[in-house]
Amino acid sequence: MSSPLPPLSRRDFLRRSGVGLGMLGLSDLLAESKAASSPGAGPHFAPKAKRVIHFFLNGGPSHVDTFDPKPALLKHAGQALPQNFLTERKTGAAFPSPFKFQRYGRSGIEVSELFAKTAQHIDDIAVIRSMQAQVPNHEPSLMLMNCGDSLQSRPSLGSWLMYGLGSENQNLPGFIAMCPGGYPIKGTENWQSAFLPGAHQGTFVDSQHTAVDRLIGNIRSPHAGPEDQRRQLDLLRTLNQAHRRERSDPRLDARLESFELAFRMQAEATDAFDTAGEPQHIRDLYGSGVHGRQTLIARRLLERGVRYVQLWHGAGQPWDHHDNIEVNHRKLAAEIDQPIAALLSDLKQRGLLEDTLVIWGGEFGRTPTVEMVGNTSKLGRDHNHYGFSIWMAGGGIKGGTIHGSTDEFGFAAVENPVSAHDLHATILHLMGLDHERLTYRYSGRDFRLTDVEGNIVRQILA
Amino acid sequence: MNRVSITPVLFAVALIWGAAVPVAQTGASETKEAVKPAPRSGIDFAAGRRLWAFQPVGHPQPPALADDSWSQQEVDRFILERLRQAGLQPAAAGDRRTLIRRAAFDLTGLPPENPTVEAFLQDPSPDAFGKAVDRLLASPHYGEHWARHWLDVARYSDTKGYVYAREEKQFVHAWRYRDWVVEALNEDMAYDRFLLLQMAADQVEPERSPHLAAMGFLTLGKRFLGVTHDIIDDRIDVVMRSTQALTVACARCHDHKFDPISIRDYYSLYGVFKSSAEKLVPSGEPGPANSAFDQELSSREEKLRSTLALRREEQSARVRATIAGHLEAQSELEKYPEEAFGQILYTADINPVFVRRWQQFLADAEQRQDPVFTPWFAYAKLKPDAFAAQSFGVMEGLSAKAGEEPAPLVVQAFATAPSSMKEVAERYGHLFAGVEQQWRELLKTDPSAKALPDPGAEALRRVLHGPHSPCSVPDEAIVNIEQFFPTDVIEELWKLQGEVDRWLIQSAEAPAHATILVDRAEPATPRVFKRGNPLTKGDAVPRRFLEVLSGDSPPPFAIGSGRLELARAIIAPGNPLTARVMVNRVWAHHFGAGLVPTPSDFGQRAGVPSHPGLLDWLARDFMDHGWSLKHLHRRILLSATWQQSSLRPSDPAAWHKALEVDPGNRLLWRMNPHRLGFEELRDAWLAASGELDRRMGGKPVDLLGSQLPRRTLYAYVDREDLSPVLRIFDFANPDLSIPQRSDTIVPQQALFSINHPFPAARAKALVERIESDSADPAQRVQHLYQRLLQRSPNADETKAALAFVQSGPAPPPVAQNALAWQYGYGEWDETAGRMKTFTPLPHFDGSAWQGAEGLPNAVLGWAQLTATGGHPGNDRQHTVVRRWTAPQDGSYAIHSTLVHQPEAGDGIRAFISHSGRGLLRSTRLQQGTEELNVEALPMQRGDTVDFIVDINEGLNSDQFLWAPKLTAVPVTAVAGATDGVRNETWDALKDFTGSAAQPLNGWQQLAQTLMLTNEFVFVD
Repeated sequence: MSSPLPPLSRRDFLRRSGVGLGMLGLSDLLAESKAASSPGAGPHFAPKAKRVIHFFLNGGPSHVDTFDPKPALLKHAGQALPQNFLTERKTGAAFPSPFKFQRYGRSGIEVSELFAKTAQHIDDIAVIRSMQAQVPNHEPSLMLMNCGDSLQSRPSLGSWLMYGLGSENQNLPGFIAMCPGGYPIKGTENWQSAFLPGAHQGTFVDSQHTAVDRLIGNIRSPHAGPEDQRRQLDLLRTLNQAHRRERSDPRLDARLESFELAFRMQAEATDAFDTAGEPQHIRDLYGSGVHGRQTLIARRLLERGVRYVQLWHGAGQPWDHHDNIEVNHRKLAAEIDQPIAALLSDLKQRGLLEDTLVIWGGEFGRTPTVEMVGNTSKLGRDHNHYGFSIWMAGGGIKGGTIHGSTDEFGFAAVENPVSAHDLHATILHLMGLDHERLTYRYSGRDFRLTDVEGNIVRQILA
Repeated sequence: MNRVSITPVLFAVALIWGAAVPVAQTGASETKEAVKPAPRSGIDFAAGRRLWAFQPVGHPQPPALADDSWSQQEVDRFILERLRQAGLQPAAAGDRRTLIRRAAFDLTGLPPENPTVEAFLQDPSPDAFGKAVDRLLASPHYGEHWARHWLDVARYSDTKGYVYAREEKQFVHAWRYRDWVVEALNEDMAYDRFLLLQMAADQVEPERSPHLAAMGFLTLGKRFLGVTHDIIDDRIDVVMRSTQALTVACARCHDHKFDPISIRDYYSLYGVFKSSAEKLVPSGEPGPANSAFDQELSSREEKLRSTLALRREEQSARVRATIAGHLEAQSELEKYPEEAFGQILYTADINPVFVRRWQQFLADAEQRQDPVFTPWFAYAKLKPDAFAAQSFGVMEGLSAKAGEEPAPLVVQAFATAPSSMKEVAERYGHLFAGVEQQWRELLKTDPSAKALPDPGAEALRRVLHGPHSPCSVPDEAIVNIEQFFPTDVIEELWKLQGEVDRWLIQSAEAPAHATILVDRAEPATPRVFKRGNPLTKGDAVPRRFLEVLSGDSPPPFAIGSGRLELARAIIAPGNPLTARVMVNRVWAHHFGAGLVPTPSDFGQRAGVPSHPGLLDWLARDFMDHGWSLKHLHRRILLSATWQQSSLRPSDPAAWHKALEVDPGNRLLWRMNPHRLGFEELRDAWLAASGELDRRMGGKPVDLLGSQLPRRTLYAYVDREDLSPVLRIFDFANPDLSIPQRSDTIVPQQALFSINHPFPAARAKALVERIESDSADPAQRVQHLYQRLLQRSPNADETKAALAFVQSGPAPPPVAQNALAWQYGYGEWDETAGRMKTFTPLPHFDGSAWQGAEGLPNAVLGWAQLTATGGHPGNDRQHTVVRRWTAPQDGSYAIHSTLVHQPEAGDGIRAFISHSGRGLLRSTRLQQGTEELNVEALPMQRGDTVDFIVDINEGLNSDQFLWAPKLTAVPVTAVAGATDGVRNETWDALKDFTGSAAQPLNGWQQLAQTLMLTNEFVFVD
């Protein structure tokens, strides 16, 4: 018996039914009942970037020790600054950076020795030196940077991208958060989908593992080989097709199809996470540490159409150096400087950098003053949400740019301050989405990642 | 409705920066919506009330229809009328097997049991279905299933979400609320009472009442790092969306953009919750007194109580001793941020909470022209640069004004003119210090003194010690008052509270406890926070109900916080929303969509109901029948509407027409098929395999990391780290009130279904059952179908099933190497060089084999084996053993690297032992690395090699890394041994698996496949 309904193309069908591990965009089956939230499927306009890789230096890297040199601190070393801002803890005198800064590239932007390898690519990078968060505490600032709200449960940037754009590869999760050794502070909330469907949330991967079945849940069967599974799925298809004859519900076909996708995914995901096939010179480029491997896996994922990969530095908040910043920052920077530089080179040589957005940053920066316990200096820095740096490179970014600035000591953004909402608006713009039109109806409101704020930072756009 | 984001601290920052730093961007949130004084309200409530949802529930009569042989219930006539108007006709009735399966899942979330199906199919009486529905409604599983629907709306969780490490993250006995909901539904508690208890059980039930558990509805929300405004916002949101389907939380920053709800309404309700404090109380009879449990509980509670009392008094004393500082702070308020700004505070710091209490106290004092402070206000009006010049005449001026004469002691303190506000503050400080001194002296001689003899001094003493003193810390639990203390005290107090909490959470004997709200002695008069910012307070508003629902001048609440009156306003029979909202929720769960498609939003943008008359008829009928939910279910299930088939209509013309006119099936020209939610799916698998543990209630259990056969309702819900399986299957996000779950189909669901050990284990159990039922293969297929689908297979299906089983499973190449390994523990026999015993580790947690969930655990302490290494058990009798069994005769090489990293402790001992030859290698290792290799070990099939680790002398930092590899060595020299032994490697790391299970056989694969069919997963 033939259906009087026009047959759906497979693509329409997938779009409607939400099939696909990465999920095509806007595929909530309840979309009809939420018809009012009807942002366009796919980008609103031609995107400059198709995918994002975000190095998240959780804990808060110090801007005055990395991308925002402050020679005035040396002049005032050991003296109180004219203005000291309220932060989480008490800080004392000006604390000049123990790291050497140097100019790089044609643009001559100064970068500290901590990121000397990354700095080789400075002409591809736009540094925003005037970022601001809202409070000097990790938890709300992580939420703000990832989800656009310090306290309320809101979908993360990656989830919004999944909702708006979907994944280009149905056989891989479209939004992957990798972190070696376990969760960062706030755990899964950092990549939550909140009121968006659960499939839009980030898939967490503990990149300290090497075996693929430790990396992705349920990717391998412990009780049946592929041939057996094929036989099972063939029988399942036969039974489902017979069942379908008298029925009409797009979910029936969607579910049938989802098993086929799952079957294919087992092979594809295994391949994506396995770096053994990479040539030696590429593996050498990224380095042998866990961050090298994690970054290389990320590149393999991006190549395969994964939309958004977030690379966390480690469990907890490794960059949170309240004491002895000289030793501690040096150690962590050494772990990721080479992988980041390698990724930029590698993307460029593959022609991928032009439509891949690379983001670097933490949830806030650190004070230019030294942290004190009583009268004793800890040789570290406290949290600083008044001003800090992040940088972006690649798709749609004007390289060799500095945007905004902090005051002469690096305490607070003074010129062109940029909020998390502004940053999010800019990222969505680069991905072809208008942050004011990407909305979702929940609890009677059309929610946006940027709430009622967000100005695109046009000065850093190519 | 788009609110300006709540960025109180950003705003604080802007203030801090003052003129020093331009605030172009931070000011942006202010400029978007011009700062203007909030009018009383720009909302036209009279017009707003014209929306259908705010109109009183009517008394509609079901339409009288000609030639209606279809309708069975009043409900049907409403439905049929609309269908006819649209030129559509209802679908045929579903067959009996379909109806009983549908009814069972709809009411109990479980498949019908086969005897139930048979009894119904055989019952010739006209009310056979009615009786079946009654039986299902009487099943205790009804309450379990419908409780979950309510828990979605109530954003239920067993944990608080992210909390700082000092605080226990689990709620005490959250599950008592879950069980209370189950029981209330099972006993068909009237819905108005059901709501009343959830909002105000503390005011209508006696102490220790089990109904206190109902208040988990308010208290089990996210902790929001302890930020009061967000906790209250969550409570307003959950109450108003769940009971009224109004998005009142949209009015936090300004009047609702679409609905007649003002920002004043929001803060009226804010005041209700601000006037309520959280409290952990017993909600059941105490256990036997003087039990070990009880003594320990009392001791922990006493420690908390006495420490809290001490710290409160210390903190108050500190404030009394630093009055000057608190007064000075009033002229630089921007240095004292709101509570969301998490500062680490030390003992000597001026605490922002007290600065704001002083601010409020002074504002009140100014209003009542308190003679102690009139000079303060007068001086505060002077401009700083002209202060010295103008401060001269201030006191004289005041004394001359009737009604503003300052108190005599204060007059004395300002006998000479002060030169700055700082000095004014210092003089007040000095004055108060003197009074405090007097008071202490008096108490020494007369400990029962109530007041100072001099009335002037007494007025000042009351500022320090009176009931409204801005120096005091309220006598409440730490959860309400943590912000009053320095950081180290907060940590200390939470630690003690945690000791109490954990004792109650862990002990089986703990009497029931509930986290409730109680009214504060002094209710707060809320003030509007302009743009939602607590730093910019606007008008005071009375605590009262929503204006749109209570006439033009809503009476203020008069009893305590007003929470009881709020609850009563909600459940009043005249409230136009409460009954409509609930019947719509119930309807939506039975049909897959509501008459109003947005069950938690009945506002302007919700659109009109598909059948307004039916909605009102049901709401009226619901109230007329004592708010009985079971009555409502019966009304719906006995209707012809609900009993329609969900199949595609057999008449193509009718089908085409229906799709054209009403593709979304809002008019209900057929039943919507129902896809099982995760709980139903998992429970149905367990029911089919005969394993379902039907016990009800109790502590939550880890169901997703284990094979426990409890109903999924009892799974531990951790909102901070919700199981990915739950997320993937669209479980309701426990941070948010969820009226309808998403319904997505993604391959992760399929991956779980085919690869996770849980469904596979159910398939095995199911096959075990049918094998014991019958030896005949065709019979077995028949049993499989009955158990899974409540029907017999047709001939084709039987044939396909048998062919599938007969073609047999392919040999499992993946699992084979993994099968060579076993993970166990036992005692090492030093002299024999072999294990005395070997017992498999019983629990796999997803990445490690161990004794039970969690490490250490009560079963086997620290014993653990992972892919890379592990940890020995707590003593030498509990070594951990990775055992490899030779699959073939041959010669094997062993290569392994043992690593022990920690400096602490005395390291570990490790042994390699062969079943035939005994000890092969041994070592003792601390903070080192050692190669433990054997070059060529001849073995026979079935021989074992054990890799054993113990704690050496003592249990301390004994974790190790050790993932041996065995390689088959080609033994070309041995004649005839070339077959079988390939150059194969067994790698402990790569082969590591959580499933020591054998692969599924043909029958098991068949059973698993049937478990995954659409027929199983979709209810017609």
